[in-house]
Amino acid sequence: MLDKKRLRPAKVGTLLLGKGTGVGMVIILCLLGLRAPLFFDITNIMTILKQGSVLTMIALGLTAVLIGGGFDMGAGALVQLTCNLTAGLLIAGAGTAAALTSGITVGIGVGAVNAFLVIVMKIPTFVATLGTMFIMQGITSWYNGGKALTINSIPGFAVLGQGRIAIIPVIFLIVIVVCILMNYFFKHTKTGLRMYASGENPAAARLRGLNTRRYLLLSYVISGLILGFTGVLQCSYNYGASAITSGMDFLIQALSAAYLGSTFSKTGELSVIGTVISGMFIAALSNGLIINGISNQQISGVLGIILILSILLTVIKKREIGQVTIF
Amino acid sequence: MTGEKKALNFIARHGAVIGICCVLLIFQMIEPRFMRIDNILGVLNSSSLLIVMTFGMTMVMAVRGIDLSIAQVADAAGVIAAMLILSGKNFAAAIMGALLFGLLIGIVNAVLISYLGVPAIIGTLGMMFVVRSAELTLTNGAQPQILFTLPAARVKHFFFIGQENIGPVSVLILLTVVVIVVMYFVKERSVFGRYMDAICNNVRSSLLAGINVRRVFGATFVISSLLAALAGVMLVSRSGNAVPRGVETYLTDCFVAVYIGTLVSSRNKFNIIGSVIGALFVGFLSNFITLMGMGIAYKNIFNGVFIILAVALGVLKSRVNA
Repeated sequence: MLDKKRLRPAKVGTLLLGKGTGVGMVIILCLLGLRAPLFFDITNIMTILKQGSVLTMIALGLTAVLIGGGFDMGAGALVQLTCNLTAGLLIAGAGTAAALTSGITVGIGVGAVNAFLVIVMKIPTFVATLGTMFIMQGITSWYNGGKALTINSIPGFAVLGQGRIAIIPVIFLIVIVVCILMNYFFKHTKTGLRMYASGENPAAARLRGLNTRRYLLLSYVISGLILGFTGVLQCSYNYGASAITSGMDFLIQALSAAYLGSTFSKTGELSVIGTVISGMFIAALSNGLIINGISNQQISGVLGIILILSILLTVIKKREIGQVTIF
Repeated sequence: MTGEKKALNFIARHGAVIGICCVLLIFQMIEPRFMRIDNILGVLNSSSLLIVMTFGMTMVMAVRGIDLSIAQVADAAGVIAAMLILSGKNFAAAIMGALLFGLLIGIVNAVLISYLGVPAIIGTLGMMFVVRSAELTLTNGAQPQILFTLPAARVKHFFFIGQENIGPVSVLILLTVVVIVVMYFVKERSVFGRYMDAICNNVRSSLLAGINVRRVFGATFVISSLLAALAGVMLVSRSGNAVPRGVETYLTDCFVAVYIGTLVSSRNKFNIIGSVIGALFVGFLSNFITLMGMGIAYKNIFNGVFIILAVALGVLKSRVNA
């Protein structure tokens, strides 16, 4: 009898996988709100949605690559690059449309370069994107000369990151629209489902006759598009671009969001909606911790722990040594 | 064999060596101070801790793992050593404290990654941020821990590692040579090293062959964190102060060094001698950038280009060999 009742780690893992993530998130947020009632104020909730939007967009861009079976170390760096570029263009007097197109073009361009390195040159995804990440960081700090580029409020442009419709931030509505589009693409179109297949098991997909390289290319381009657009949003949200070029903090939060999102599914499958919920959860968590008086320095540590825990939830069932075949 | 194929073969075989020599020659032509003997000695001195850190990365990557936390561990270990000295402990306690910290982080990494199965890239990325935030909290928001203003008697032993000479050679270089020899035997000449090769080639068959895969895989993370902590101590002892987050840029240098190092081996394996060459190359590269007065922007771009070039050359090489 005792044997049957003993909780085996794998069973706990299955249980947590089924319901745990959602319940855990609600409990954590409730605890944070209990100590600081201000947390559940409607204006604060709207602020959280606004704060979390850029992060969620980056996580969505990363999710696109991860679904296609790639990896992107340079997601944060790309957002910083396009953000700086947009700020520079706006300072030089370009219009909103020009800034938007150039940001998206650069994003798609970088995605294409990544795809070229991975698919044609056969460089492992991790190393290729690491290389482009350094190059982007270099270009960013060369472009802004180590200074923050601050823009004045431009009416048409500021709406993107600062505007509100009724009480809801515009930037959050953009996230919702992108999320719906991506969810439709990945779950309800032939191309999207095939991208899932070729990312999940490239060998099987190839045997089934899919051109996995094409889907990888597509996932890098989609991700580049989203990340380029995110840079523009970030510029509008931030009133310009900060001088920090690395974007590593963005990367870790976006990775956490993507992997935490995958714990919603029973099989640990990445999903667009899961990513959005987790991205907003991470933003809410940062906000709640700050309201509760935890300093900014400790938050990155908390996020690191969340990243590890969220991935632990998905791997606890299928434990193998944590090798990453990225070389 | 056609001419084109011959050329490809030649590039694949000797491209790396020729490339490195060419780059160094070009540097020398642009900046005549580059190859002066005192400059070279300076580069050797400052590359020593990069070499030590690179070894950790080499060990982990040789079993297809990755450790993104090493720079942060080096950073924190240096800060811990400095804080222990500042609080009046003697040099041995400071060094032991720093190394113990490295050991602890290494064990946590090993448990997470090797025994619980967290993918190495995620686990060590998370660890990097945990260590960083602990470090910032400890130093009250990245206040530098300054040692060189202390009375000389208190820091004399601690600075011995980084600032003294034995004969004509600095202690730092001697220590690095010792580490190189030890690591060479561990990685290339010991049973443990052979196990690592086996795991790299085929995890399942090495499990069937009776290798304790989890233990070997985990051990590489412990080694890498320990070496990182040692590098952190070396740096603080050399510069006389510990600036939190000052070592973080070394992570990128490590990657470049390790990937250039794979080109030295004929089958693109991660190896110790290659990593030494790679680290020295990176050292000369940063030195050149400093001599020319170019900023971090150029360094990042160079790093990115060299990583991609090195790996692309490696891919070419394995295709020619096949």
